[in-house]
Amino acid sequence: MLFQVEGLVSGYGKIDVVRSLSLHVDEGEHVGLFGPNGHGKTTLLRTVSGLIRAKAGKISFRGEDISNFDARAIVERGLIHVPQGNQLFPQMTVQENLTLGAYVRRTDSRKASNFEKVFALFPRLEERRSQQARTLSGGERQMLSIGVGLMGMPELLILDEPSVGLAPLIKEELARAIAEIASTGVTMIVVDQDVELLLGICERLYLIEKGAVSLETADVSQIDQAEILEMYFGKVS
Amino acid sequence: MSLEAIAAIIAGGLVSGSLYALMASGLSLVWGTVRMLNLAHGALVMVGAYSAWYFSNRGGLAKALQPIGKSIVENAEGSGALGGLLLPLGEWILSIRGGFGLVIGVPFAVLCCGLVGYIMYVLLVKPFVGKPGADLVVIITTLAGASFMQNGVQVIFGPRYKQLDRILKGPPLQVLETAIGLQEVLIIIMTPVALLLLHFFLKYSKHGLAIRAVAQNDDFAHLVGINVSQIYPLTFVVSSILAGLCGVMLGGLFFILPTMGAQELLFAFVVVVFGGLGSLPGTIIGAYVIGFIRETSAYVFSLYWAPVVLFATLILVLIFRPRGLMGGEES
Repeated sequence: MLFQVEGLVSGYGKIDVVRSLSLHVDEGEHVGLFGPNGHGKTTLLRTVSGLIRAKAGKISFRGEDISNFDARAIVERGLIHVPQGNQLFPQMTVQENLTLGAYVRRTDSRKASNFEKVFALFPRLEERRSQQARTLSGGERQMLSIGVGLMGMPELLILDEPSVGLAPLIKEELARAIAEIASTGVTMIVVDQDVELLLGICERLYLIEKGAVSLETADVSQIDQAEILEMYFGKVS
Repeated sequence: MSLEAIAAIIAGGLVSGSLYALMASGLSLVWGTVRMLNLAHGALVMVGAYSAWYFSNRGGLAKALQPIGKSIVENAEGSGALGGLLLPLGEWILSIRGGFGLVIGVPFAVLCCGLVGYIMYVLLVKPFVGKPGADLVVIITTLAGASFMQNGVQVIFGPRYKQLDRILKGPPLQVLETAIGLQEVLIIIMTPVALLLLHFFLKYSKHGLAIRAVAQNDDFAHLVGINVSQIYPLTFVVSSILAGLCGVMLGGLFFILPTMGAQELLFAFVVVVFGGLGSLPGTIIGAYVIGFIRETSAYVFSLYWAPVVLFATLILVLIFRPRGLMGGEES
């Protein structure tokens, strides 16, 4: 097992947002998380990547307990979190943003080929490499966000809401790109509201409600899409 | 206005602009990255000037070493092989009675300022990082640090004014019927060089990029693996080095005294607000604009009216551009 969360509790101040959450991801697997807003998905990811402290429970990566490690130590182990809302360095160029994606020493020797990989995946970023990130469109920013994550040579890539707020056509383009990353064998956790997007990428889904896993699907190819939508929205009578 | 006056204003504006630019860019860097105001920044200018004096002047380190050199030479004769080894050292110490000169003094002053900046960060800023109300607490702690440094220097070096040797000796340059001292010419030329080095550091070095990254989005900086808690002291060191350079240049123009840098700090704050908090290009452009406004108003009205005109301009600019000349939008 590559990645495991057991009984995780975390939140802000005295308020627990994640309440005893457990899940696991195997090597090479692509796992989707979905569920209503405000139920702890992003908080879970922020705890996993070391931005906020876990109050209880355990996060392990390759058998090592990484809970409450520095964000930097976690990135160095190859667990890369691409945050929600296309977070970038707005007054830096595309090139500089990508360079910072390769900040950790582990990636030094492969920097040039990683640049090529990202530009092959998102040719638009190459066209705009000397443009400031804040001047990019929403879709391009999301591409850059993912590109920055790829520069860090992820062994587990976590994408938080990659499709949020994007026009349908751009969403499709992005979904294709994410599927392409998935096909290279990178282990992934994708969080999104759009279950159809997750179904195109992931083998397994978790539904997260009230800070815990409320449902876990088996292999999605075995089940009906309508069933999953039913889990999400309740039974349509 | 005569041609001569215009030339004098331009030269004066370039000199003050340079000094403000060096000082304000450090202030702006710390504000942009650590989100704190460093009120000890003026004292660092003073530390830069004093350390340059101490390492270069005949009255500084060289003088303090003389008794050691003398005793080495006196005792060397009778003490065999070891004495033979030490004798050249003693003679060398005696030979530098005239001081080490600015070639040694300036680099040591810069090093010294970097070190003081680091110590200052560890003692006055680090304990409060991430705590609620830290920005206000740090204003007080750095003010205390400034007071400590000013009085400490007074205790160590005494109240008597010091003066740096001139780097370039010679008659002033005649430009358009105005005499410009060589020291002033040096300041006008060296400041853009220093700022260009700063630009290259921030644009192309790994640590420089990291400083800018933390300034623009510290959350995301964590997620790409930047050790943010190391970037803060680095920013203080870089900023202190800039203040030290300003001190070295100021020390070549005026007398060195424990309270120097305080007035410059005030003007540097004007520059930083005027140019847009946290924006380095804005700060540098602002520095030269403020420099020219100061010199012009000093010529047209009088030196005493210059601060009044400056603050009036600042208020006027802030009415129309509340975020300063080049301050970005709310992010």
